Amino acid sequence: MLAFILQRLWQAVIVIFAMSALVFTGVYAVGNPIDVLISPDATQDIRAAIIAQYGLDQPLWQQYFSFLGRVFHGDFGRSLVYNMPVSELILSRLPATLELTLTAVIFASLVGIPIGMYAGYKPHSPVSRAIMAISILGFSVPTFWFGLMLIMVFAVQLGIMPAGGRGETVSIGGFEFSFLTADGWKHLVLPALNLALFKFSLMIRLARAGTRELMLSDTVKFARAAGLTEFTVLSRHVLRLISIPLVTVFGLELASTLAFAVVTETIFSWPGLGKLIIDSITSLDRPVMVAYLMLVALLFIVINLVVDLTYALLDPRLRKGRA
Amino acid sequence: MTAQTQAAMATPLLEVSNLNTWFATARGEIKAVDGVSFSLAPGEVLGLVGESGSGKSITGFSIIGLIDEPGRIVEGSSIKLEGRELVGLPAHELRAIRGKTISMVFQDPMMTLNPVLSIGTQIRLALEAHEKLSAAEARERAIKALHQVRITEPEKKVDFFPHQFSGGMRQRVAIAIALLHRPKLIICDEPTTALDVSIQAEILAEMKELVAELGTTLIWISHDLAIVSSIADRVAVMKTGKIVEIGPAMGVLTKPQHDYTKSLLDALPSRAKPGQLLLRGSGIEDAAPPPRKEKTANLPPLGSPYLVIDHAVKRFEKPTGFVLKLAIKSGIAQPHPSVDAVSDVSLVLKRGEVLGLVGESGSGKSTLGRMAAGITVPTSGFIHLNGQPVMSAGRSPRKVTTRIQTIFQDPFASLNGRMRIGDIVAEGPIAHGLVTRAESVAYVQSWLATVGLDPSLANRFPHQFSGGQRQRIAIARALAMQPDVVVCDEPVASLDVSIQAQIINLLIRLRSELDLSLIFISHDLSVVRHLCDRVAIMYRGQIVEEGDAGVIYDNPQHEYTRRLLAAVPALPVAAE
Repeated sequence: MLAFILQRLWQAVIVIFAMSALVFTGVYAVGNPIDVLISPDATQDIRAAIIAQYGLDQPLWQQYFSFLGRVFHGDFGRSLVYNMPVSELILSRLPATLELTLTAVIFASLVGIPIGMYAGYKPHSPVSRAIMAISILGFSVPTFWFGLMLIMVFAVQLGIMPAGGRGETVSIGGFEFSFLTADGWKHLVLPALNLALFKFSLMIRLARAGTRELMLSDTVKFARAAGLTEFTVLSRHVLRLISIPLVTVFGLELASTLAFAVVTETIFSWPGLGKLIIDSITSLDRPVMVAYLMLVALLFIVINLVVDLTYALLDPRLRKGRA
Repeated sequence: MTAQTQAAMATPLLEVSNLNTWFATARGEIKAVDGVSFSLAPGEVLGLVGESGSGKSITGFSIIGLIDEPGRIVEGSSIKLEGRELVGLPAHELRAIRGKTISMVFQDPMMTLNPVLSIGTQIRLALEAHEKLSAAEARERAIKALHQVRITEPEKKVDFFPHQFSGGMRQRVAIAIALLHRPKLIICDEPTTALDVSIQAEILAEMKELVAELGTTLIWISHDLAIVSSIADRVAVMKTGKIVEIGPAMGVLTKPQHDYTKSLLDALPSRAKPGQLLLRGSGIEDAAPPPRKEKTANLPPLGSPYLVIDHAVKRFEKPTGFVLKLAIKSGIAQPHPSVDAVSDVSLVLKRGEVLGLVGESGSGKSTLGRMAAGITVPTSGFIHLNGQPVMSAGRSPRKVTTRIQTIFQDPFASLNGRMRIGDIVAEGPIAHGLVTRAESVAYVQSWLATVGLDPSLANRFPHQFSGGQRQRIAIARALAMQPDVVVCDEPVASLDVSIQAQIINLLIRLRSELDLSLIFISHDLSVVRHLCDRVAIMYRGQIVEEGDAGVIYDNPQHEYTRRLLAAVPALPVAAE
């Protein structure tokens, strides 16, 4: 187990390095941030001074290594647009995205998995057919359209929900969270629902497919032959056996939602990371883009490692080093 | 017969009458069980025998109330347990009977236990299904149950997970679960089929003892007449959903009345003289004669050494990465253990002979066969065919001869389900230039006829064929490459006895017609005895004994060979 973790950490280091080089050269190949930074009528002297100030006159590899050196000291540079340290900027936006995506993914799993299991348990009942129809709809409806509809119905027509923003927040350890206030929840529900729709459908289909297959397995037949109730069979046997693919997808979805909740955050003007990266791309805010993309890589690595460790927890066959 | 057993006979424990279990399919209802009636006295052991699809398992599932959609027990059927009608009971009452009064043991212990729950948890769930008890009590009962089925150190093993047990141990756990609530009736559905011969003999003996000790009534479902004869008081033979013959075990197996029972018995290689064609089970017509063998150059005469395996070793180990190496060096991690599947085996196959390779699962017989066939690269050692290496040298060796072909065990997995069978057979010969694409159609058809298949079926897909037919296709595919040596890796293990007899006959015939040399890998000693000239016994990666089949079977020298032969269940022989 320890050897496995060490191996994964070593791989993580390599991936992070490769990612930093790719992102750095990639981002520096597009556009010229100087054009954004200074007004077109600035003199050539001012222009040269600013270029030197940001180190943009040096060759790319020198820029990369001085960037790496600064990163080792925890310094990702300053945002060209907000003129504040990038790390601070990202950390201030992270809680908003974190609470939005966690709410969405957890909701999708807690509701989607039981519903999917039911659909797999009784595949021919009308309720199951309805569930599957809804899940297909959930796959095919574009996120932006569903978001707009939610705003139309609940915010505009009925007026019971806010159309955007985070609402009232509570500060914990310097970070602002909205899930601790009633008003915050009100603001959270619609974007979370919008974000959850696709994952919800995915969880339904996965849970259904797994349950349907397992209900025909000898394990389930044997458990039934021993007189176990259907509920025990489903909750103790089937759920445990389908949880491995579910955890895989949960991890992947969590990571990709954290990184790319852009559409929902834009529609509901949710001040999270998604909006930040869109803004920084349009304004060519290089340090923010680089730091953000590296954060995304790190997120994927960490979540995948956690998923792999969860496998070992769920499946004793993967636990090594035990007799 | 004592007065007690007479009284018991009077009130049967189980009375099945006119049981009909039908399955709705797109092509109408299939009568899986079609009017089955029998009754069982308390403590009696009934052997339910039949080939796959005969409805024997469905009969078992009907009795325990586990028929799922689209199946149904038809009105007019009756299953009475101690006088109580089970057909038509609501689901929760049936559940209360399952596991408590009637329990069931399944065929494959690898599939029945839940791999992610500990043995103790699975036993506790089965206990809680019918009783209220504390965790400590459940644990104690679990330990007792494991002890009862002769699992050593039950206090420790109760926390094990299924993968930490061997197949035989898992089946013991399954039996322990079935016995938990002291059921009156246990239905065993092929409980030893998936196990090695020696394990099978152990389980069989233990099951007999337990049944006698507890006075449990048993229905033993099996396709294997020899096993049934060793445990059952009475035997019922099923065919296409009907019981064709039922009676005392000795009577049915030694003086069968029904033709089907006779044909089943005649299909067994253990009842025929070695090398003879077996009598056909279910009346499939004779295969067409094979095409003339195309010319093969400079072959040594029959009986001279042909395929030579010289000190072959196959070691399996996981590759070690950079960090892991560091971790091993610094002592935080253990190196992966390496396993010698085959350790230093030398073997010679003479041209034209059939060499049987016998061993239990994990003995390395399949790995040796794969090395001989040029599929697996030996870690060290050489394999030569007629003086030429079978695989090329270098970093990534590959097979360089088409003279050796393989027939695999599972005809469901070995044929590509998305290719037409004609293309499956033609693929190799076209790729190696044996025939042109234009010639291939006629070529394939002649081979299909050789293995007893209708040549006009070449455009069908594998799923449209039965297991026995698929194995014929696999044989046609191997032979179409014009090999001299065929490695048969358990080619009849997954087939019914009558189909098995057909395939064995086919191999016997083709071998003599085409002068083939065969390596026949099998765990079934009676099939090997029937088919093979010489036998090599493999045990833990080594060949412990080798020689003429007759000599080894009559006079085994090695301790392991003796144990293996002693474990083979034998059919009673009719007293003339």
